[in-house]
Amino acid sequence: MKSQSKDQRAAVPSSAIGTHTEAEAVATVASPEPARPEAARGNGRPLPASVLTPPPPAPSPHLDDYRNIIGQGHVDDLRFLARDLKGKSIKMVNSTAVGGGVAEMLNRLVPLLSELEVPTHWDVITGGNDFFEVTKGFHNALQGSSYELTKAAQEIFLMYNEQNRERLQFGEDMVVIHDPQPVGLIRSREKSRASWVWRCHIDLSNPDARVWEFLRPFVEQFDAAIFSSQSFARQLPIPQYLFYSCIDPLSEKNKELPDAVAQKICDDFGIDRTRPIVTQVSRFDRLKDPVGVVHAYKLAKKYVDCQLVLAGGGASDDPEGADVLQEVKEAAGNDPDIIILDLPPWCALEINAIQRASTIVVQKSLKEGFGLTVTEALWKGKPTIASAVGGIPNQIIHKLTGVLVHSVEGCAFQIRYLLTHPDFAKHMGASGREHVKENFLMTTNVKRWLLLFRILGQAKSRPGSSR
Amino acid sequence: MRKPDKPFYFNTSEHLLRIGRQKATTLSELWQALQTCPDDSIFQHTFRTLQDHHFIRQGFSNDFAHWCLSACNEPVLAEQLASVDVREFTAIEGLRRRMVGIVDDFLQPHPRSGSKAGHEPFYFCASDIVVLPTPFSPDSVPGFVEGLKRVSVHSIHHHFIEARLRLHLMSNDFSQWLEEEVGLPQTADAIERIDIYTNTMEGVRQRIATIVEQALN
Repeated sequence: MKSQSKDQRAAVPSSAIGTHTEAEAVATVASPEPARPEAARGNGRPLPASVLTPPPPAPSPHLDDYRNIIGQGHVDDLRFLARDLKGKSIKMVNSTAVGGGVAEMLNRLVPLLSELEVPTHWDVITGGNDFFEVTKGFHNALQGSSYELTKAAQEIFLMYNEQNRERLQFGEDMVVIHDPQPVGLIRSREKSRASWVWRCHIDLSNPDARVWEFLRPFVEQFDAAIFSSQSFARQLPIPQYLFYSCIDPLSEKNKELPDAVAQKICDDFGIDRTRPIVTQVSRFDRLKDPVGVVHAYKLAKKYVDCQLVLAGGGASDDPEGADVLQEVKEAAGNDPDIIILDLPPWCALEINAIQRASTIVVQKSLKEGFGLTVTEALWKGKPTIASAVGGIPNQIIHKLTGVLVHSVEGCAFQIRYLLTHPDFAKHMGASGREHVKENFLMTTNVKRWLLLFRILGQAKSRPGSSR
Repeated sequence: MRKPDKPFYFNTSEHLLRIGRQKATTLSELWQALQTCPDDSIFQHTFRTLQDHHFIRQGFSNDFAHWCLSACNEPVLAEQLASVDVREFTAIEGLRRRMVGIVDDFLQPHPRSGSKAGHEPFYFCASDIVVLPTPFSPDSVPGFVEGLKRVSVHSIHHHFIEARLRLHLMSNDFSQWLEEEVGLPQTADAIERIDIYTNTMEGVRQRIATIVEQALN
């Protein structure tokens, strides 16, 4: 780990030497030119200059900063939980230091664990473009896409895993391998005293059989596996735990905002806060069904006045995203109450403001991983309407913490209902926020890691333990 | 009221959710799995789920009832399962029998409901549990109230709801201590009667504190 100043704490993975990390390689493979924010536009409206350049990274918070959110009792519980682990260490290994949900999560998790005196090291594996092309194929295949698993792909995968295995040390007490890319590092298990854990962040409910059968022998050598939803798990001979994905309530995207900030951002985007606002935040991706959201809004608008905000990104760096954005614009027609925002990826504060200004948040996905945009909306106390797919039913208990829908028509009806029953909507939004506070915050994730560390340590120290 | 001989040790319990091997896609499969799943699965989906959803004042009772309504659209069965108060049980076996009996009684006159697939499967889970101390071990009633107000709601759940499986008594740790150590049987009884299904766990905490403070005054 590189040293960190007290005020500018951030988890920095050990530097990767030689070849690329995944983010670098993918940038080379998939995006020869960096995305140009100048190209980002709403439906005809230029984006304000303030969003065209990325803001400087915010310092990571300390554990005590969460006290006002989760309460002193829960902070005390974390400290007690960590007390017996003092001096023991964890290594996290993944394939990218920047970009993507895993790196974002590790950036917050690693400093918090270290602050609890459980030193946590973060290593990033390296590989050539050929490796990351193979692992991208694996990633998609494990989530159900078809993939031709060749002998060459297997050899590339194994070769880079061996290279990384020789480069990395595993002297910690728990080693956590994130996702399939570094799964071959488990071959170092025999020489290490650690408990080995595979943290799978992707949906394995319907994997390509050949790719899964290739990876399964590696996975079965771990002491435990972790999934983000019950439905993502596989039949394995090792214990499988459920760690929900989580959000950081102190991040730019989720921190409390002065109303004046939200107002300014809405003004910049032409969002009228005096009228109801229905919002979906998501990439311009067909699986997020933004066109379906436009249709639902139009059905609802026959009965209730509202604006629709579709805020997301992906159209400037992804050809399919550009197509989807065009389809959305065509579906929207010239309705001035539909505001389409193709935002650069660093617009976390703007997304935060739009979510907070919204009357209702929608996530009408056709397929979803965990659905962190739902978590973000619930955390802001917003009445949320979402499809019953992926990890969303873990977050939305129908009519208690949000509303689950299965169709455009169902979505339209719930928009009408919630806009005309504000007391019910408000009560549900409040329950949704509590649900997130209890189950889907970064601090709960810290607790889960500490618990797992203790439980695996106890299992390992039992007489006769074969693992 | 007397000075307690023993302090009240506030503990808390934290849990890690383990994904089980069984799942049910129909009510018949639920009925079968309820009979064979491990005790800790029954515990997870009844006692423990109350902790995960402690903020809901009404409408959530246990995972089985919730699944019967949300995935199987069987409101009658869901209401019957939801009416089961976990605090009537001091052992998991009795709770299991009650759940199995309710599903059985429903399926006998509604056999076609048994084979209808739910919108999503029911995944049986369980928890690995770690009990932890807290900084609070009061040896007086005012100190007890202070600790009660400061511990996490997980500690309240641990002492107030899960305790009866540990004690094998129709009681809870708070009532036991107040009756046996402090000599406040009526206060203990009033606490035991708090309805956990129409209160949030935060509400339960406040009710207990109010009852004990009234006894102090």
